[in-house]
Amino acid sequence: MLSKTIGIIFANSGYYNLQGLARERPISAVPFGGRYRILDFALSSMVNSGLRTIGLVTPHHYRSLLDHLGAGKDWFLDRKAGGLFILPGVMHSLAGTNHTFCIKDIHHNIEYLQKDFAENVVITRGDQIFNINFEDALEFHNDKQADVTLIYKECDSLGDPIHEKLLEMNEHQKVSKIKPQKALENAGQVHPYFANMLIIRRELLLDIVEKYSSNGCMDLMDILTINMEVLKIYGSPTDSLIGSVRTVKDYFHRSMDLLDMEVRENLLLGENRIHTKIVDNPPTRYTSQAKVSNSLIASGCTIAGEVLNSIIFRGVVVEQGCRIKNSIIMPKCHMYANSKTEYAILDKFVKVNEGNVLKGSLNNPLVVFKSTVI
Amino acid sequence: MLLAGGQGSRLGGLTRKRAKPAVSFCGKYRIIDFSLSNCTNSNINTVGVLIQYKPFLLNSYIGLGSAWNLDNPFAGVHILPPFLGDAEGSWYNGTANAVFQNYEFIDYYDPEYVIILSGDHVYKMDYSLMLKFHKEKKSEITLATIEVPWEEASRFGILTVDGDERITKFTEKPSQPDSNLDSMGVYIFNWSVLKQALIADKRNHQSENDFGKNIIPQQLKQAKRVYAYKFHGYWRDVGTIESYYHANMESLSEGHFLNIFDPKFRIFSNEDILPPHFVGASAKIENSLICNGCIVHGKVSNSILAPGVYVGEGVQISDSILLPYVKIHDGSVVLNAIVGENAEIMSHCIIGAEGESAPDQEGITVIEDNHSIPEGSIIEAGTNVYKTHSI
Repeated sequence: MLSKTIGIIFANSGYYNLQGLARERPISAVPFGGRYRILDFALSSMVNSGLRTIGLVTPHHYRSLLDHLGAGKDWFLDRKAGGLFILPGVMHSLAGTNHTFCIKDIHHNIEYLQKDFAENVVITRGDQIFNINFEDALEFHNDKQADVTLIYKECDSLGDPIHEKLLEMNEHQKVSKIKPQKALENAGQVHPYFANMLIIRRELLLDIVEKYSSNGCMDLMDILTINMEVLKIYGSPTDSLIGSVRTVKDYFHRSMDLLDMEVRENLLLGENRIHTKIVDNPPTRYTSQAKVSNSLIASGCTIAGEVLNSIIFRGVVVEQGCRIKNSIIMPKCHMYANSKTEYAILDKFVKVNEGNVLKGSLNNPLVVFKSTVI
Repeated sequence: MLLAGGQGSRLGGLTRKRAKPAVSFCGKYRIIDFSLSNCTNSNINTVGVLIQYKPFLLNSYIGLGSAWNLDNPFAGVHILPPFLGDAEGSWYNGTANAVFQNYEFIDYYDPEYVIILSGDHVYKMDYSLMLKFHKEKKSEITLATIEVPWEEASRFGILTVDGDERITKFTEKPSQPDSNLDSMGVYIFNWSVLKQALIADKRNHQSENDFGKNIIPQQLKQAKRVYAYKFHGYWRDVGTIESYYHANMESLSEGHFLNIFDPKFRIFSNEDILPPHFVGASAKIENSLICNGCIVHGKVSNSILAPGVYVGEGVQISDSILLPYVKIHDGSVVLNAIVGENAEIMSHCIIGAEGESAPDQEGITVIEDNHSIPEGSIIEAGTNVYKTHSI
């Protein structure tokens, strides 16, 4: 069944630039969780669901994305048949708009859909953190003989920006309405929110793209709304954790959530692993002065200082007398002796010189650009 | 030709389920990573791996060799198990016999030179420098050698060389050593010379079909041009529990760490993809190496934690090596021990407790792979704890 399914990931979403974390890279390429990039979650979910043909819609600044992906080997996508397809997005598609899935991006790469014989296409965004097996939703999609299956999550919180679209469904899970969420309107109540992932018949998607692509940049979700009456659109629930990253605050909290065992079990430690680029680093070395607690530490680091409630990426050096608290330190940063860092997000290759102090706050973590020397 | 069929019986519980080259080393590596990475770093792209003893875990680990950049379209890694032919075929009977049985494989690639490697040692060596030496000396056979301390020379097989590095004599455990060069078990042969030597060795029914014991002395007798290449660098024999333990522990010192993990001469490995390790609120880690996927809640000092190890609350680990996916449950104490892969130590055990008599093997306790130690057990230092096998 699953070989009859291909995937599309919109890795070009990002009208928000995370105060510079996503200035020179798409949000899907922002490092996350010690050794991953945000895209790894969508990509691994698809691969773990048995998909072996995946198209990636890229934005214009995709160097770091391709650096990370290569030929897709680490996701088992360097294949003779199928594999990873890079689909260059339209220059002004999702950047600057509020679209979920821009039809023009698919139209631009229509051959990807035309050449394949797959029955269905799974579509997700590249800016969400989740570990979902799509097999259940695909089975549901086939059982219902649906045209489109929208994956939703029942929740009450309004804190997460993924809660943009509410679904209205009848008792057979058939969707009758996709409506935008107005803030505070339904606070405290449980509602089915669209999780920005869907399954659609490939032939139908081709028809839609052909019909609507001349109308400029239209959102696939708007087209589904227009055709709600004629299409068989169903909703399939998921209970997995889903977190999206659109602001620095989101990024900070989604990252810190990983220090919670339950979150890690759900996202990282289950049967389905998140795959990422393999670097073959040495183990992390702790000296006798190291003092680490409640933190996630990747490989290849040297820790001689104090680390508390933080996430340390690969190859970071923490010298003696350093104090790192509630912070996220990206790959290859060097923290010189006696520097202090609190509530900060340091992008790659940042150097904090001896004795210097960086301090942000819980609601406004300090972001330091790539390769800055402080 | 990489000889990886060794059983490594002196490593006790660590090699009952797997061949010695597949034993974990320094947390991240397996012993065979060193030989395979040396090949990559020396631009050798055709490698035959001769296997025999408990091959499954080793085979699946090597795969196509892509983890070591050895998956090439016209060459690559070939796993060579013993096989049956029309008229003959048998288990590999000695190192030379193993290579002899695969002469068709070597002929297929028709090389000028064949390098014979052992998958049992931990060392970083650029074979291309040795080959350069081999060519310069117009040698027919070149042995890699390492200098051992003079006072220990009488324990090794010692090679005596003349002023031109040509080997004149090979003495097994000499009482009055006249040289301190020990053979590392790495040989470069001209393929034509090796082929003749293997055929002659096969015909000699007294031979044990071993490179060190038979082929090399025989060729010296025939006055072949046999040279000694002096290797200076990182080389460790990990054949016994003690030497395995010390070679691992060395990596905790900064100098040796840089040696082993030097990015300019990288050792590759085929590791599982695991999340970063998590250090709990009550954890304390000192002077240790921690790999991906570990979860540490207890105290760890002077130890190596391989990928996926779990250390519970109130646990105390010191001077120990925990191999991949070991679980140590709450309140246990592990001292001076090697805990085998997937082994599980339940709550409130003491591993490496002080016994009444002086402990064996320098007091290093070894727990076999996949073994589960029941709650509250006390195991004396220096014991080898084996799993009881029902089959």
